[in-house]
Amino acid sequence: MPVWIDPEKCNGCYGSAQPPCLRMCPGDLIVKDTAANKAYLKYVNDCWDCLPCVKVCPEEAIEFHLSSQFGKGARLIPHVEKGKDKIVWELIDRMGKSETFSIPTKIIAMALDEKLEAEPAPVDFSI
Amino acid sequence: MKVERKVINTDILIIGGGTSGCMAAVEAKKCYPHLSVTIMEKAHIDRSGCLAGGMNAINAYLNKGETAETFTEYVKWDSCGLIRDDLVKSMAELFEYGVKQVEKWGLPILSDDQGNYLPRGRWNIKINGESLKPILAQAARASGSRIYNWMVMTNLLMKNNRVTGAVGFSLRSGAFHVIHAKATIMATGGASRIYRPNNPGDAAYKTWYCPYNTGAGYAMGIRAGAEMTSFEMRYVALRTRDAIAPTGTIALGAKAPQINAKGENFMATRYAHLGGDHAPTPFRTYGPLQEIKAGRGPVYLDTRGITEKQVSDLKSAYLDMYPSQVLYWASNDIDPATEPVEVQATEPYIVGGHCQSGYWVDADRKTTLDGLYAAGDVAGGAPFKFVSGCWAEGVIAARSAGKYVGSIPASEISDAEVTHEEDRTYAPLRRHGNMRYPATPVELEALLQKIMDQYAGGATTGFEMNEEMLLNARKQLSRFPEALETIMATDLHQLMKAHEVIDRVDVAAVLVEHLLYRKETRWPSYQTRVDYPERDDANWLLFVNSRRVGGKIEMLTRPYEGKEKNAGLD
Repeated sequence: MPVWIDPEKCNGCYGSAQPPCLRMCPGDLIVKDTAANKAYLKYVNDCWDCLPCVKVCPEEAIEFHLSSQFGKGARLIPHVEKGKDKIVWELIDRMGKSETFSIPTKIIAMALDEKLEAEPAPVDFSI
Repeated sequence: MKVERKVINTDILIIGGGTSGCMAAVEAKKCYPHLSVTIMEKAHIDRSGCLAGGMNAINAYLNKGETAETFTEYVKWDSCGLIRDDLVKSMAELFEYGVKQVEKWGLPILSDDQGNYLPRGRWNIKINGESLKPILAQAARASGSRIYNWMVMTNLLMKNNRVTGAVGFSLRSGAFHVIHAKATIMATGGASRIYRPNNPGDAAYKTWYCPYNTGAGYAMGIRAGAEMTSFEMRYVALRTRDAIAPTGTIALGAKAPQINAKGENFMATRYAHLGGDHAPTPFRTYGPLQEIKAGRGPVYLDTRGITEKQVSDLKSAYLDMYPSQVLYWASNDIDPATEPVEVQATEPYIVGGHCQSGYWVDADRKTTLDGLYAAGDVAGGAPFKFVSGCWAEGVIAARSAGKYVGSIPASEISDAEVTHEEDRTYAPLRRHGNMRYPATPVELEALLQKIMDQYAGGATTGFEMNEEMLLNARKQLSRFPEALETIMATDLHQLMKAHEVIDRVDVAAVLVEHLLYRKETRWPSYQTRVDYPERDDANWLLFVNSRRVGGKIEMLTRPYEGKEKNAGLD
């Protein structure tokens, strides 16, 4: 599974209907289980490994893993430092050796929820 | 099932809120503040499309000493002699305009002590562009444009041969959206996943080109009868093995040459006459493919001996764009300083930004359909566009569209036509529960990719093809409309996937006709015709174009006009 949302850490962005991870996935692959108040990657085979979901999670609840085709065992964790316009990437290789990369960026503030513009009532598509 | 219908009226409609679309929105509101501008975006504009993961360089920029003319000459050479000089030159003239604007919006661009941008190669500058997409989105929002996220556009609206808007559905509410526009700018990006991808199974979407760019912009234009150019110039990219990350970061960033399994710098020895490791881009894919074919693979970028600092810089650069490359090295105990980086060719993509597949446009980026403009990967004739060229085209298209809006009245579309489009849009969903043997988007995508892979020059044949294979592809694709009559969606996400397949089949059919028509090999590896292996300037220094009329794809050619301004479209 390319990205895995840790259910222990995911707080559903409180009552958010469209939490940032769900909104920032360019493939529309993440959904929210409203009953459990947790987001999860629904379409695991359709992931591009592009990481906006990981970077935007306010709880750092989303882990990035490669497919077994590409190797397991290392970790890559982006720590987004909002006030400082930078990301500190923590890389831990298979042997446990760690490296950090501090890279300037521009952080655009992101709300925990967002309504569709002029949202119409959802249609029931069930048969 | 009755769906809600929503009608939106706007002066300028932009389909696709990506690199070009965001810039077009900003420019339109800047030049024509009284006009309403509406963006329809398939995902969320903050992280959609090609730039979702970020970008670590601007690869089309005029560094000190270069001009729009020297750029145009270089691109022509890199694209094996055939480009639209007028389009390439006009975008180059706007590189500075776009880059300076985005820097002002907050993009960190690496500079030296004197404030000069740091070049990464002749046409490249380094950026920290992890958040390039949110920066562009923020500017589009601030411009006063209306942005609709999660809108899957399915067709253009036409009246008297003029494009008068588009229709589509909301991925969230399911509502059918009818957008009436005085001018429309197509900026959806190109098409990936037409061919069988490099990685199987759970990593099939680990492509280089954005897997969610599925040729909708091409397909809508094809169905509306717009003229398309150069689909046969496919992009087969040289990328790192498995992670499929761009190699320019290493080749330019660490000045690493290609070597084969024997350690030979084959580009320098076998392609010296073309510039060796600096040969035109198609040859930098063709060269390694030939090495592998001759049993001298795998092929690598020779990074051995680079300093610890260079390794760290490489990783930083990839974190801004393809973080998976860094995790891949750490997961496989690879240190580029001691081990060369293996490379491979990707499955072919159809793009107007690296190559020149797309709408045939005039210098104003107007397509052959009145009221329709094109910018970015979906616009043809101008390769080597990359990010800054997409910005430039967004700017030009917005200026042209705004001017056009002032001169025309709004038009009305009959209810019957809108209902017809609504039925077409929701047909896959309405089959749900009403068909005994429906087909899923996944299985029809697999069928498309298999046909294209085996008969239209996919990885299976080393990207090579001949007339007989292509005729086979044509024959198999011709049966597709029947299969598409059974494509079924169970929810809105699947409805989007169904339309992505429908669109790619239309693109593939045009692509195969283009590949059949050009009887030479102009771009080895992108377009290797084994039955016509030579470049033939006497007969083929021209554009192969097409237009779908009444379901039939008609081929035509357009002359190469060199430095002369390409005047008009007829």
